[in-house]
Amino acid sequence: MAPPKSVRAPTTASLPNNLRIPSTAQSLTKTLNKLSRQALLDLALIWLDDQNIKSFPPYLQREETNNEDEEALPYPAAETIEEARQAYEDMQERKGGKREVLERILEGDWRQGITLRQLAMADIRYIEDHPASSRWTALELERIDPKHKTPTNSSEAWASNIPRMQPATFVKALQHEISSLVKAHYHLARSNTLPLTFLRIFIVDSPYQSPRQSPEIFADASRIIYVAFPDSSPYIYTSVAITTGSNAKPITSSSSIATDPKSLHRLVREAVPKALSRPHERYTLKATALATKNLPTLLALRGAGRSTAANGSFSIFADAALEGSPLDPRPSNTVSAQEHMRGGHKPVKDEDKENNTDTAQELQLPSHPKRRLSGTGTGMDGSVSPSSKKRRLAVDSRFGSASSSLTPAPLDRLDIRLLDAPADSENDTRTGVLPPLSLTFSGSDVIGGIRKLAELGVVDPERMPSWMTGEEAVSMAVVRGGRRIPMKN
Amino acid sequence: MNTRANHSATPDPEAEQLDSEIASIRTQIQNLKRRKRFLSSSLLASPNVQPLLRKSPTTLDDDLSPLAQAAGKHSTTNHYRIAFGTTAFPFKDPSPTASSENLLGVRIDVSTRNGRFAKPYYILLQRERARGEKEMKLRVHRHTVPSFISMSKLEDVYLPSNKKVSSANEESDGDDSEEEMRKLKAKGNTRKQDLRAFVRELRRELVAWHLRCDAVEMLRERLGLGDDAESNSVDRLSPESKAGIVSLDSTSIETRYVRLEWEDGRVGRFKLSNTGHVERAVVIGDLGRDKAIEDAMIGDGAKVETLLERLKEHTS
Repeated sequence: MAPPKSVRAPTTASLPNNLRIPSTAQSLTKTLNKLSRQALLDLALIWLDDQNIKSFPPYLQREETNNEDEEALPYPAAETIEEARQAYEDMQERKGGKREVLERILEGDWRQGITLRQLAMADIRYIEDHPASSRWTALELERIDPKHKTPTNSSEAWASNIPRMQPATFVKALQHEISSLVKAHYHLARSNTLPLTFLRIFIVDSPYQSPRQSPEIFADASRIIYVAFPDSSPYIYTSVAITTGSNAKPITSSSSIATDPKSLHRLVREAVPKALSRPHERYTLKATALATKNLPTLLALRGAGRSTAANGSFSIFADAALEGSPLDPRPSNTVSAQEHMRGGHKPVKDEDKENNTDTAQELQLPSHPKRRLSGTGTGMDGSVSPSSKKRRLAVDSRFGSASSSLTPAPLDRLDIRLLDAPADSENDTRTGVLPPLSLTFSGSDVIGGIRKLAELGVVDPERMPSWMTGEEAVSMAVVRGGRRIPMKN
Repeated sequence: MNTRANHSATPDPEAEQLDSEIASIRTQIQNLKRRKRFLSSSLLASPNVQPLLRKSPTTLDDDLSPLAQAAGKHSTTNHYRIAFGTTAFPFKDPSPTASSENLLGVRIDVSTRNGRFAKPYYILLQRERARGEKEMKLRVHRHTVPSFISMSKLEDVYLPSNKKVSSANEESDGDDSEEEMRKLKAKGNTRKQDLRAFVRELRRELVAWHLRCDAVEMLRERLGLGDDAESNSVDRLSPESKAGIVSLDSTSIETRYVRLEWEDGRVGRFKLSNTGHVERAVVIGDLGRDKAIEDAMIGDGAKVETLLERLKEHTS
């Protein structure tokens, strides 16, 4: 059932979903091997689901074929789909290695090859299971509209800053934009855990429906681009980190035909805002100086929620940790921040059940003694010295409620360029003689780490500039006089 | 309890049981303490007690009066927040490098369907004096408004300023702001800033969003699709009056569009306006668009609250 190879005419269509990659390809095994046993089992059962069985037909034993070779294989072909399904369900029930599932998929039921769509599903599943597996850059969608300054009477004038996106239409438009330059396969998937829609684009530089390249390229990570669309927010995230805008310098010389993955990426990236645009409503992508490995961080800092424009010392407002609901009779300063944070979303009936379960309160209790221990000013009897208490208050006011926040947003990298003269910061001489100073912090949670340092007294919490507290919500910044200045792309 | 302890051979289950009992008693104590505090502050703030406390100033203990005062103040604040929905407060930016450390905070409270208030929304405004200008200009410094409401547009219209450095547009490049300046010069004079109108429009948009969410939640509850199917069983519709709808949910957080699904595989989508009307509707079945149902959805006043009744009438 290999794809017909008799007709090979260049077309502008996208790569078909059912294009099969030989299951013997090394890179395919490698890609699938990254997934956990459970993920592989889930995928196999999804593929064998009634809805999908036509798209991913497994290899079934046919009556007329009595091939000797097949019986020698470790996984004899199933006779019916139910039989194949049962095999995976059996594996689900018993314990075992990942290997047997992988082998059954590649050498048993899908020995004729894995389709592009199956591979895309596997990749998306991997991202879902490992949200920190790739590096994402946040970009802002901005409307190019010379007349947007005039106030309109339309009631939705303030809410229409997000392009309406129908996934299928968007893919069609994107295909229209890039098909003449790049051959691609598209896969759209809704995230199960995050309010996101993923688009996986696999690109090939061949005009043919069934490219003749080695099957290894189909799982080549450098040819895959992910674009994530968070719900209801004017941002998109992409896994490609190339400078944005049309004035960006091409990485290769423009005369060379776009064959290397990097320029293919660039083409796709430039096509995305065009595909989102419509007549009289054009969009462009703008860098937002944030790149991180963690998708939840991006959602917290560039998403639809409350914390997008209130971080660092302002996170107390994002978490509503300062004051309670107007119906709360207790004065705000007598209630703990944690209780305020939980407050708004408690449904009415909880009040009657209050005596039975309140585990949230208990879960938060242990965090307090821990923080007290980390302070250096703690005496033997556990009492806190006044200076350390003052410092803790200063730290809390600078970093806000970020450490106990409902939406933790760890940054894994923070790049800062300081333009100040090392000795005299008040001097306004911005000559090019001074060497710019670059700082790079990296770790699992950079801002959290700076907070720890401040708690230990290494960093002065009152004098440090606000980019150290995560207030700016960026991972790259150019700083002069303690203040972030707009970056020039 | 003794008999159960005798049955068990090892002391471990007994100890475990005691531990869990202790833990449950502790949580009970904690909850009771919280309840006590809740009640005592309610009592102190209640309109029956406050005047009495104020009437007898001399008899009050020094220990008691600050408590009573705080309670009185707090309840006054709460009354303002409930009655007006928008309150202002001062806030000091702790950053040593901030351009102006005194910020004007605006708090917006929105009440929701379940008899509670949503988490308050905050906008922190900075006062800045532009070069060569006499009056101070306000600009949005930080806010907690969801990003589908365009703060930069609101700011452009109601809080215009010469310096276009709003937090949302901070990264715009140089020639853009130059163009801005030229435009402003051509206009001659800048428009006046209007904080009241700014807050009014923003609050309207926030309330509209919460109302849209509430409307969808209400429809879901009546269809028995809510998160807890047990609650509000009075409002639940009988299976035949559901008009064959098996699923109804908003397509995104913004709740501008709502997606519907019928038993027979038809799918539909409608747009919810800020005033609670079904603005547009599309229903597609196996045989193409179902115009009759679309008309039923947008006809007869098009209120979203009566959508299910209209659909039921249509099917019967």
